[in-house]
Amino acid sequence: MHIFEGFLPYPWWQAWFAISIPVILYGMYKMNKLVSERREVVPLLAVAGAFIFVLSSLKLPSVTGSSSHPTGTGMAAILFGPAITAVLGVIVLLYQAIFLAHGGITTLGANAASMAIIGPLVAYMFYKAASKAGMNFYMNVFLATAIADWVTYVVTSLQLALAFPSATGGILASFIAFAGVFATTQVPLAILEGALTALIMKYVVQIKSDVLVDLNVLTTTTVAKLKEAMQ
Amino acid sequence: MTYILDDYAILSPLRYRNNWLKLAIVTFGILAGVSSSSPFVPFTIALCMSFATIFFGKVPPKFYFKILAVPAGFVLVSIVIIAFFFGEGANLFEFDIFGYTLGVSSQGLNMALLILARTISGMSCLFFLSLTTPMIELFAVLKAAKLPDSFVEIAMMMYRYIFVFLDVAMGIRYAQTVRLGYRDFKTSFRSMVMLGTNLFIRSWEQGEKLYLSMNSRCYDGKMIMYDEKRPVKMPEMLLTGAYFAIVLVVFWLTRGISFI
Repeated sequence: MHIFEGFLPYPWWQAWFAISIPVILYGMYKMNKLVSERREVVPLLAVAGAFIFVLSSLKLPSVTGSSSHPTGTGMAAILFGPAITAVLGVIVLLYQAIFLAHGGITTLGANAASMAIIGPLVAYMFYKAASKAGMNFYMNVFLATAIADWVTYVVTSLQLALAFPSATGGILASFIAFAGVFATTQVPLAILEGALTALIMKYVVQIKSDVLVDLNVLTTTTVAKLKEAMQ
Repeated sequence: MTYILDDYAILSPLRYRNNWLKLAIVTFGILAGVSSSSPFVPFTIALCMSFATIFFGKVPPKFYFKILAVPAGFVLVSIVIIAFFFGEGANLFEFDIFGYTLGVSSQGLNMALLILARTISGMSCLFFLSLTTPMIELFAVLKAAKLPDSFVEIAMMMYRYIFVFLDVAMGIRYAQTVRLGYRDFKTSFRSMVMLGTNLFIRSWEQGEKLYLSMNSRCYDGKMIMYDEKRPVKMPEMLLTGAYFAIVLVVFWLTRGISFI
């Protein structure tokens, strides 16, 4: 869920920019380093960004009849790491604001914090920790992307609650209200996105597993093991 | 599937106006709207920007109002929450649910209306930009803003590939639909997975091909762009000045005034 243009009042949109900009600058620095070392990643990063945009503009089938969109950022975080996902995510958010009328310019900082930074970071940390603990790869991808999707909405609720605290219960009361609407309705969609990403990964392992090895998502031995299990 | 506002921007008669002037108009509108303390300022901005987009930009009004309704779901839910939870003072009306009293105070209602007005004005400014300025014009602006080359480069290539992949995705989706791939929840989920996988693999292969083809044409990490000089004309200047003046006057006159 994007926060739309003009929705966040005076100190908050600047505050979220202040939080997001250093992270994005760090991501740009990382990306610049990667690009100067291996020039061939430029087109790959560009198509990856375009892939996130297109994936996030596809409607998910939904049980209740309402439709929603996958965020796609959890998958990107697993594939490219959180720093680069932050930069790609910001470009995607900017394009969504300009092409699809989703999001906005003053709220770009807040949207970047929830969708391009915190969500992917959580997914990445979960993925790394769980793969160290030896969790099944597909289960891991499922949980990491589902959690990333859901965390994004929790952060959005928090951003709204901080900007509009309740008179009687303070920030907590309005957080419960916003999260009650946005985070609860997102739970089935988060599960759906997790399942979607895990299955996409399954096909990618089947058809083009060398990509995952190139990106350091999996090692050759795990790919061999996963392929063996499939037969 | 999705409409891309860029399609309208490319055909827009305002496309060949000075980019910086358009950006100044939009930035001014967004900042004035967001820092306004009464709903009148955002209302004025929304009126001026919608007029400019529809009248000067020749955007079909029906389409314009359709996209203006895009944020409606999110905004309506959020402002209801704000109206109920924000603000102090006597409640205008209240009711009991499960032993809790929920009430709307005048401060909360004012805030909700103000936020609604700000969102509408912000969106109309954003639409003015996205319906009159194609992204290709904005890359020169991004470069002039001294953003790193690799960032602008990736943004540019992403822009190009968004359309390539949207085309692929729409083609696959269409093929799946005519084969009853979206018949019920289970089949649509399966189709969605196949679509996502194919898109990922195709994007990857496309990226490798792109690298090869650009490398064989002496790509050295820099793309030079042609930045056309478009001087600002007098009528545009006067109109923009008038718009700024009107907004500032309204801003000053309606400080702190609210509806209720």
